[in-house]
Amino acid sequence: MMLRRVLLSPAGMIGLVTLLLIVGMAISAPYLFPKGPWALVARPYLWPGSRPGIPFGTDALGRDILAGVFYGSRVSLLVGIVATVCALVVGITVGAIAGYFGRVADAVLMRITDAFQTIPGFLFAVVLVSILSPSISTIIFAIATVSWPPVARLTRAEVLRVRESEYVQSCKIIGMSAPRIILTQVLPNSLSPVIVAAAVLVATAIITEAGLSFLGLGDPNVMSWGTLINIGRPSIRSTWFICIIPGLFVVLTVLALNLLGDAINDALNPHLRKR
Amino acid sequence: MRPINLIAGIGAMLCAAAAPIFHAQAEEPVKGGTVTFLMSPAPQILTSAITTAGAEQVVSSKISDSLFTYDFDLNPKPLLAKSYEVSEDGKRVTFHLREGVKWHDGEEFTSEDVAFTTMEVWKVLHGRGRTIFGNVEKVETPDKYTAVFVLSRPSPGMLKSLAAQQAQILPAHLYKGTDILTNPANLKPVGTGPFRVVSFTPGDNLVLERNPDYWDEGKPYIDKLVFRFIPDAATRSAALEAGEAQIAPQNLVPMVDLERLQATGEFEVTTKGYEFQNEMEMIEFNLDDPVMKDIRVRQAIAHAIDKDWIVDNIFFGYGISAKTPLHPQLTELYDASDVPQYDYDPEKAKALLEEAGYKPDANGTRLKLVVDPLPYGEHQNHVAAYMREAFREVGIDLEVRAQDFAGFVKRVYTDRDFQFTVNLLTGGSDPTIGTQRTFWTPSFKPGVGFSNGSHYSNPKMDEILESAAAEMDAAKRKALYHDFQKLAMEDLPVLPLTAVESTTIANKRLKNHTIDANGTYSNFANVYLEPAQ
Amino acid sequence: MDRQFWTYLGWRVLQSLVIIAIVIVGSFLLLHLVPGDMVDVLGGQRGDMDAELMATLRERYGLDQPVLVQLLNYVGSVLQGDLGYSYRNATDVLSLVLQRLPATILLVVCSVITAVFFGTMAGVIAARHAHRPIDVIISMIVLVFYATPIFLTGLGLVIVFSVKLKLLPIGGLITPGVDFSFLELVGDVALHLILPVFSLSLFYIAIYARLARASMLQVLDQDYIRTAYAKGLSTYNVIIGHALRNALLPVVTMVGLQIAELFGGAVLTETIFSLPGVGRLAYDAVFERDYPLILGVLLVCAFIIIVVNLIIDIIYTLLDPRVEISR
Repeated sequence: MMLRRVLLSPAGMIGLVTLLLIVGMAISAPYLFPKGPWALVARPYLWPGSRPGIPFGTDALGRDILAGVFYGSRVSLLVGIVATVCALVVGITVGAIAGYFGRVADAVLMRITDAFQTIPGFLFAVVLVSILSPSISTIIFAIATVSWPPVARLTRAEVLRVRESEYVQSCKIIGMSAPRIILTQVLPNSLSPVIVAAAVLVATAIITEAGLSFLGLGDPNVMSWGTLINIGRPSIRSTWFICIIPGLFVVLTVLALNLLGDAINDALNPHLRKR
Repeated sequence: MRPINLIAGIGAMLCAAAAPIFHAQAEEPVKGGTVTFLMSPAPQILTSAITTAGAEQVVSSKISDSLFTYDFDLNPKPLLAKSYEVSEDGKRVTFHLREGVKWHDGEEFTSEDVAFTTMEVWKVLHGRGRTIFGNVEKVETPDKYTAVFVLSRPSPGMLKSLAAQQAQILPAHLYKGTDILTNPANLKPVGTGPFRVVSFTPGDNLVLERNPDYWDEGKPYIDKLVFRFIPDAATRSAALEAGEAQIAPQNLVPMVDLERLQATGEFEVTTKGYEFQNEMEMIEFNLDDPVMKDIRVRQAIAHAIDKDWIVDNIFFGYGISAKTPLHPQLTELYDASDVPQYDYDPEKAKALLEEAGYKPDANGTRLKLVVDPLPYGEHQNHVAAYMREAFREVGIDLEVRAQDFAGFVKRVYTDRDFQFTVNLLTGGSDPTIGTQRTFWTPSFKPGVGFSNGSHYSNPKMDEILESAAAEMDAAKRKALYHDFQKLAMEDLPVLPLTAVESTTIANKRLKNHTIDANGTYSNFANVYLEPAQ
Repeated sequence: MDRQFWTYLGWRVLQSLVIIAIVIVGSFLLLHLVPGDMVDVLGGQRGDMDAELMATLRERYGLDQPVLVQLLNYVGSVLQGDLGYSYRNATDVLSLVLQRLPATILLVVCSVITAVFFGTMAGVIAARHAHRPIDVIISMIVLVFYATPIFLTGLGLVIVFSVKLKLLPIGGLITPGVDFSFLELVGDVALHLILPVFSLSLFYIAIYARLARASMLQVLDQDYIRTAYAKGLSTYNVIIGHALRNALLPVVTMVGLQIAELFGGAVLTETIFSLPGVGRLAYDAVFERDYPLILGVLLVCAFIIIVVNLIIDIIYTLLDPRVEISR
């Protein structure tokens, strides 16, 4: 039902198809490039199109950028999705507890959330990744750490709204336990804006990962789009393609996720779409 | 190579042929102008007397002179010292100082300054000075212009180390009796050099102006010297290209850009002026590690690496495939004859691993190793990434570990929780200054960065190094260091990969920026800028 | 103002102090839970430092004490306005940060103004022409702005405007080594800021454009706008005089929420454009493990952001009496 509405909007359609193509790249990478993204295939800094079979050229060590982009899609998507899931779990938990119980729990949790929101997110991620040593897990951890507060706020606001509703009140009266009320009654009725936010969170996470790698804080054992961007960054004046090609894939993915997010939002709130 | 390079090459040859005529005509230095010099990282303080950090050395050498500068073969040339003599037993070194040299605040420069800086600054607070001047017992000052270094044992290496980058003289009248590390003059330096500080914006720029009272009359030629500290490599190369800066030393411009900038005809690249650094890209094996302890594994690793590939593809030809731990630029001591070599030979590497008991599993993997590349610049990471691919061929599954500088130093030199590194080690103008610490038993000091990280200990090696350090006879010294090179490559506690040639790129209008071994670390008194046409 | 307002203000200030306390304790503990301290870095950079000297330095900087004692010492000195000493820069942290702050504040303020101005403009235009080609085109452009990472925009702008066209400086805030008059200085700084401001604000232009469009659509639907039209006011008057004023409220809220993000984005912008701001200072400090400096930057940023949000809250309450003052 909702999916149909999403697909009916051209933006949602474009977003979904693009995203599926990128997921397809991620899945097909090991079959198309069995030697992996790190194999040295030709001389370094080979220009795109200058040799058949290496359409995107090679990077600073002679690795195939096309292979890098394919494998990179796996990592960038992985980072985006896992970091978002972590942020959602933490954010929803904090937001639900704060919103449902209110009073002290609310005050304490919201001040902590405030504290996280007053530290510039990207700067905090830079500090976290660098002191914990850059690796795929520390990067995911850092991104999740800086992205949960908005989720918590959003969830809290929704929970506050739902908390006072009659059905929640009646659950309380019949003596249902708080966790059960939250899980079965409150959350299912308050999560739809959070779901929309999730698409944007994935996009932001992918941009953040690329930004961290750009600053040299990527995982050297994992080929992500950010890794390629970082490899190409010093030589961007001469061999800009190493940076720009994966950069375009970041832009494309983020665009697709936003189009999809918008479409889902419209599908969930059809009244906004009326005009 | 693409055809365009061939044409450029011919052009360069023609220019070279025409050069002597050109030089004969126009060598009258032009006065005036502002030169902008690109640096990164930024210096934190403006003296190098208490630190070995490169940025501090580059900027402060313009502000304060040293006793000597050195020609390309590392022979001393007079600066603040006019001449020197060494006693027969090598234990007394007398320096005759230049007269009438004034500090920027008008005080006279005397032997007192030399004595103070040697005994209370270099010997105590300077990273390498503690080693270089370790044998100095006292400095006698019979008169204002004579300083006599009294040594406990001969230290021929010391005379190679009196340039501003590691032996900068501080004004005793401002430092004596103060806490030297926090003295305000560290940020507002008073020197004897050709330039004075106008303003310093930490992390961004440093503006110097001509010192009109410089002892070498008529110099310096340029009016202003501006340092800009730009952290991003692409921005540095863009700044040169846009004409906002004239010079960038120390490989600060990516190698792939060097080729392109040279092709514009506006820039020239030199690898001279780094005879002091002699940087070596090396693998340090942790001999305390059960796997690396086995020399067959170390030899296998040596055979699995194509050093020429590294030179060609990572250093873009700006380096020499290393045959010994010494840099070939150290012409007096370098000797690779009869030194054991480990040529690129994957089959041999596999055989050695087989012999060491590492059989391939179903995936062809014989053993898993972890490498820690030094997080400084990108070359070490590239070498590690190359090794990961090259090692796969011989059945070694290599993981590259990333960490920041502090993490690396702690892991390798304090916790000793590593298998092998890819490191960039400064060899120095004499092996006693740099190379020795990597091989000498007493320099195994957990907690001390860039000490004997392999924990290599061979009494024979210690004996060679100790005799060579005190040997006054040049031929005997050379023979001792030849033994050192042979033994080092036989025991293989470290594997030298590349003798790095650092590059300086400068606008062709900028003259005399590299006239001796100190290169861009020299005082720039002779630098001038031809006006743009 | 009435008592209710002052109670609210007092409450908000108290809240802010609690947040600052959480930031101090949290970041201090975080930075002390990781391997490798300042002395390890110094040891590495100096090349040769023995265990004894390292122990002396640790003692001197108080690094040999238990973490809790260090924390108490730190909090104590922060309360006295002392953010500690940066050993690497041989200067006290507060003066370092204050020295770098103007560049960042200039960058962030200019970016906010640019983003709000262009974003709202684009949003209003789009809303006026909702679901017509202009709207679709603006939405698409805005979406591309939104999806492009700051560093790609920054690098692209430098290549085009500084290297190829040589119109604008590569980086920095002021051309060093030139004696400027005041007006020349302002002009010079403005030239240096154009590219960084645009690369930092593009992303936020997108955000404000979408926000302004949405809230504009909502406002245009309201009765009082219909009334205004009915009264025969021109479209321009209706949009600027009535609709925009109300549609701007969510934009103001957003600015408060985004300030922290802008400071984060400044790290990238300042790195690309070599701006001497706190973002770059923090980035350098991170790589040098200069804990007091990292802490100092985080703290000062948090402080500014809290104060800005406090001010925005107050303005908001004053502007919009409909906002209910809770507690």
